[in-house]
Amino acid sequence: MQLPPRNCPSITRRTVANPIFCGLGTYLDPPKERDDLMPRLVRLFGKKRGQRMTGWWLAGSVGEAFWFAAICVVSVLSLSTIVAWQVFSPETHPYPIGYGFWLLVLVSSIFACIGAIGFIIRVLRVAYSDEHRSVLADRAIANAQPGFGIQATAMPSIPKLSGFTDSPGVRLAFRLPSDRPDLRELVLGSIFVLAWDAMVAVLVAITISKARYGVYDWFSISTILPTFGLIGFLVTKWFFRKFRQATGIGGTTVEVSELPMIAGGNYQLHLVQYGRLSVKKLLIVLVCEEVATYHFGTDTRTERQEVYRHPVLEQGRCRIDWGKPFEAVCQIHVPENVMHSFQSPHNSVAWKILVEGEVNRWPSFSRSFPVVVYPRVASPRQLVPS
Amino acid sequence: MIRLHGLHRGYMPGERLEFRYSVKDIDTTSISAIEASVVWFTEGKGSEDIGVHCFQRLTGDSITQHDWMQPMVIKTELPGAPLSYEGTLVKIRWCIRVRVYLVDGTEMVAQEPFYLGAITKEV
Repeated sequence: MQLPPRNCPSITRRTVANPIFCGLGTYLDPPKERDDLMPRLVRLFGKKRGQRMTGWWLAGSVGEAFWFAAICVVSVLSLSTIVAWQVFSPETHPYPIGYGFWLLVLVSSIFACIGAIGFIIRVLRVAYSDEHRSVLADRAIANAQPGFGIQATAMPSIPKLSGFTDSPGVRLAFRLPSDRPDLRELVLGSIFVLAWDAMVAVLVAITISKARYGVYDWFSISTILPTFGLIGFLVTKWFFRKFRQATGIGGTTVEVSELPMIAGGNYQLHLVQYGRLSVKKLLIVLVCEEVATYHFGTDTRTERQEVYRHPVLEQGRCRIDWGKPFEAVCQIHVPENVMHSFQSPHNSVAWKILVEGEVNRWPSFSRSFPVVVYPRVASPRQLVPS
Repeated sequence: MIRLHGLHRGYMPGERLEFRYSVKDIDTTSISAIEASVVWFTEGKGSEDIGVHCFQRLTGDSITQHDWMQPMVIKTELPGAPLSYEGTLVKIRWCIRVRVYLVDGTEMVAQEPFYLGAITKEV
C-alpha cells in the first residue's frame, strides 16, 4: 500500500539526529510555535533524561570545539616557545636539552595532537550530517582496504564468514570456533601470585642473609614473614584451584554441515567432548542473544538479553575417558521467522550453539560456539551491496 | 516545506524502492545543499548506530538547474540485510531522510519510515 504524499515540517537538526520514529501513515503535525525550538538557557545542574537535551545542541558542540581549539593553540604556542628559545637563546633556557626539555616537548606535542583531533571531530559533527559522515567513513574504509572494499560494503551489518569457515571439520564441513572464556581473572591472578611469592622469597633471603651475620630482625621473623607467607600460601592455593578448573575439563569441538545457516533451514551438528569426566547432564542449545553497548557517564556498559533458546540435544549420565570422548550427531533447525545475525558498532544480534555440562567433582561449564544466520529470503549472493 | 511521495509501507529485500521528494515554498537560490538518503539505524538500549544504503547530495548548479515544481526521484534496490527488527534491547529501523541546508545555516529534515522484510517482532 502506497502512502499519501506527506508534508514534513522542518525540524531542527539534533531533534532528529536520534530520529523520532513516526507511525506509518500518520502525519507529523508541524509545531504550533517555534519558541519550543529556540535555544534554551543552559542548565548547569539537573538530570538529563532520555534523549532530551538540557541546552541547545549547537552551543555544546561549538563549546567543545572551542575547548579543543584552545588546548591545541596553547600547546602549539608552548611547544614553539620552548623550541624557539632553545634554538635562539640556549644559554638563557631554563631547561637545557635533557630529560626536562624532552618531557616538555613530548607533553606539549601530545596536547597539541589531542586538541587538533578533538577540534576536527567536533567540526565534522557540526558541518556534516550523520548520513554524510557515515558515507565518508565507509569510503575511507573501502579505500584503506582495496582488496576487501567490496566485501566490506556488500554485507555491512552481517558478521563476515571468513572467521567461521576457515577451519574444516573432520566429519562435517566446518569446525566452529569457540568463544574464548574470560581468562582475565586467571592471568591477573597468576601475575599477582608470582609477584607476591617473589616478594616473600626476597624477604626470606634478606632475613637469612642478616641472620648469617648475627643480626636478627625479630619483628620481621615473628610478624611480617609469617603473615606474608600465609597470604602467599592462600593466594597460590586459590590460583591452582582456578587453573585446575579452567583446564581440567577437556576440550569441546562442534562441527556443522553448512555455513552460513539460513533461517528456516535444517543442519547437521557433530559434538565431541574430550576429557576424563563423569557427566551428569550434557546439553546442546541453540541460542539467539541481543547485545547492546551504551555509555553510562564515563563507563561503557554492555547488556545481553537472550531472546531465543531451543534445546537441540540432552544427554543424561555418561562416562568420558581419555581416548574415548563423547560424540553425538544431531539435527539443528533454525526457525523461519527469526532475526538474522546482525553486527554494528554498538548493537548486535548473535546466534550461537551452547554446550552446557554438569559433571561430578567439577563446577558446571558452558562453552559457546558462534554461528552466522542469514535471512531466509537472501542468500549471500542475492544481497545487494550497500 | 519538504514533501515526500511514493513510499510504500513495507518492502522485501532486493525489492526496488522508488520515492520522490520535493521542496516547496523555499527559494531555491537560498538552498546550499540537499541530502537524500535511505538509511537504517538502531534504537533501544545501546548507542545508536547508522548505516547508509543510498546517499545523494546536491549542491550548487544541480540544485538551481532542477525544476523544483517537479519532484526529485530516487531509485534504489534494497539490500538483503539488515531487516527491520523489533527486539528487546535492539531495534532496527529503516527510513528515507531528506535534509535541506539553507545558505543562512538553517537545516530542515524530513523522514519517513518503512519496513524492510517481515521480521518486525522479536524472535
